[in-house]
Amino acid sequence: MKKLTIALAGNPNAGKSSVFNVLTGSRQHVGNWPGKTVEKKEGHFQKDGYEITVIDLPGTYSLTAFSPEEVIARDFIIDEKPDVVVIILDSANLERNLYLAVQVLELGARGIAVLNMIDIADSRSIKINKEQLSKLVGIPVVTTVASKGEGISDLMDCIMNIANEVTK
Amino acid sequence: MKNQALLNKKPFEINYGQETETEINKLVKIINQTPTLKSLYPPRWLAIKLLESDEDIAQRLSAIPGSTELYTEAQASVESLKKILGDDVDILMADQRYRWINSLVKEVVMKPDQSILTNSDKIDKIVTNRFLGIPIFLIFMWIVFKLTADVSAPYLDWVEGVINGPIARWTTSFLGWIGLGDTWVVSLFMDGIIAGVGGVLVFVPVLMFLYIALAVLEDSGYMARAAFVMDRLMHALGLHGKSFLPMLVGFGCTVPAIYATRTLENKNDRILTGLLVPFMSCGARLPVYVLFASIFFPKNSGKVIFSMYLLGIVVAILLGVIFKRTLFKGKEQSAFVMELPPYRIPTLKGVWRHTWERTGAFVKKAWTIIMATSVILWFLMSIPTGGQGSFANTEIGNSVFASVSKAIAPAFKPLGFNSWEASGALVTGFVAKEVVISTMSQAYAAGEPDEEVEETPTFLEDLGEIVKSFAESTLDTIKSLPLIVGVNLLGEEEEAEPTALMDAIKESFEESSNGNGWLAALSYMVFVLIYTPCMVAIAAEWHELGAKWTWVSIFGQLFLAWLLSFIVFQGGILLGLG
Repeated sequence: MKKLTIALAGNPNAGKSSVFNVLTGSRQHVGNWPGKTVEKKEGHFQKDGYEITVIDLPGTYSLTAFSPEEVIARDFIIDEKPDVVVIILDSANLERNLYLAVQVLELGARGIAVLNMIDIADSRSIKINKEQLSKLVGIPVVTTVASKGEGISDLMDCIMNIANEVTK
Repeated sequence: MKNQALLNKKPFEINYGQETETEINKLVKIINQTPTLKSLYPPRWLAIKLLESDEDIAQRLSAIPGSTELYTEAQASVESLKKILGDDVDILMADQRYRWINSLVKEVVMKPDQSILTNSDKIDKIVTNRFLGIPIFLIFMWIVFKLTADVSAPYLDWVEGVINGPIARWTTSFLGWIGLGDTWVVSLFMDGIIAGVGGVLVFVPVLMFLYIALAVLEDSGYMARAAFVMDRLMHALGLHGKSFLPMLVGFGCTVPAIYATRTLENKNDRILTGLLVPFMSCGARLPVYVLFASIFFPKNSGKVIFSMYLLGIVVAILLGVIFKRTLFKGKEQSAFVMELPPYRIPTLKGVWRHTWERTGAFVKKAWTIIMATSVILWFLMSIPTGGQGSFANTEIGNSVFASVSKAIAPAFKPLGFNSWEASGALVTGFVAKEVVISTMSQAYAAGEPDEEVEETPTFLEDLGEIVKSFAESTLDTIKSLPLIVGVNLLGEEEEAEPTALMDAIKESFEESSNGNGWLAALSYMVFVLIYTPCMVAIAAEWHELGAKWTWVSIFGQLFLAWLLSFIVFQGGILLGLG
């Protein structure tokens, strides 16, 4: 079976855990990052002939050397070279959340932007033009409400598209 | 093929302005000529990090051969850019990123007028108000403790009834059926396992209500406000604001709370917080308060329990101030930035998940550590000393356990509770606070005559009774909800019928304290509050704080527990309160 590694990055409170839980269901493993007292969550799922490993990176606002969490997140992207980094963004606080996204992309990672909790943005009449966002940043963009499972199949499709591209 | 993943068709780049870009390109050129570096890091990213004077990267480069030239060159670039641009490059680069994002957001996001307050903002105006914040926080905490202490009570009775009734009966008949009736195995199950584990499981409803309340507070976003509100107070006392989050978690369980100190950036803040977290009274200590308060303070149990929590907080704050001025003197405090997530209505699923995870962890503990301790204790209690009685057929007062406990008991004499049962429960309580009560029920109950066996109901009757009494408990719980605001729908509050255990404890404490039973009980509760929470917490401290601080923590807590209990008991007598 073809293997694929995806990493989840995002600010604390952006709904990273919800996305992680709906993607991996019950197949999760919680441990520590080697040599660090920071929790590492890893999960698996299978789709279209791929065995997909999902790594939940520590929730951070940035990727500087300021805290162990940030160093862990960026080291993982540099050293393990995940096939896709799914960047979870809180749609209602897009501007602040994009700072991490920019840094992930500067690392040269292949990214997917997830506009999560889009329902809350909607309820505050915040409208996000996702096609425009995708064009300007140069990565696919999907909208989700992960806690209710909405938009997850779009995200799956997006991941599988990239999978097919990567392993072509 | 893995490297392919890093190669986007069109690489993402932010333009940092002409001068900076020139320096970036200069560094990228050097990196591209150094194969060791090129294979390890994306060249442009590495160049950017070098210009930002990233410490982690500098350290790593020093270990890579051939990187000296690059590093020297980068230093020169940083210096020259600072001269040209008039500010530190890392700040200017971050600024450039924010500008880029800001213009991106202008392109893609349509927002309503910013001056309109969101609902979250409106709630925060009240909840985090300078004057109202702390009273509101205390009111919420009060509701939480009322919920746990009063509202869960009917379920507590229900679980107790099920365990001591049907489950005990089924176990006995099962053991009889496989031919082990009237052997020591029956005693192992009834006096050891069911008395031990059962005595703990009885408190599952209490903890479930506590965890439901905490989950609702967490998921709604209020918990973050509570930390924010308390931050002012914490800072006034010289503690770190972020320390309050682990402390709040500590009310649920000390173990995750100690792990939660990881959120603090500064090592000294982490250690200090880790030392103070155990004084936050965890869920496992609550059953002890509940039991003692209902025996000695039946009319004021809620207030007595609440004051235990307050005492823990006060001790932590005072110790924090003292440590900050002594052990951790002059150590810098890192800056505090805290995010207040928007308020959300907690989902049933989310609350259930949190509640179940934590309650599940407690039940698991009951089945593993507490089961093991109960069995070991049963053996210690069953092995006779001094040639009286035989194995599993000995007065508990003549057992090995009693001898050990008796040897320690004099140390507790000045605290008002030198009975061997009470001190023995503290010994086992070192393993886990849940065991304090189970040890007591084993130690005290073993001395009682067996209750007369009434007509044994059939299996089906038992099942029916379980369901029926559960429904009744639910009804009682609903009726007791208004108790939170002091309205009592349950009619004249029935004095809860004291169980045999409660009577035994009352008698024993009155005796050991020369009639000052309630002072001794208070002193006992204080001891339970202050000394080592449990073995698992010690393991967590070892992991997070290291061996030295773990020892400091263990012995410090024992000393402090003894001292404070001494003050409570002797002080109370001096003041003539007895």
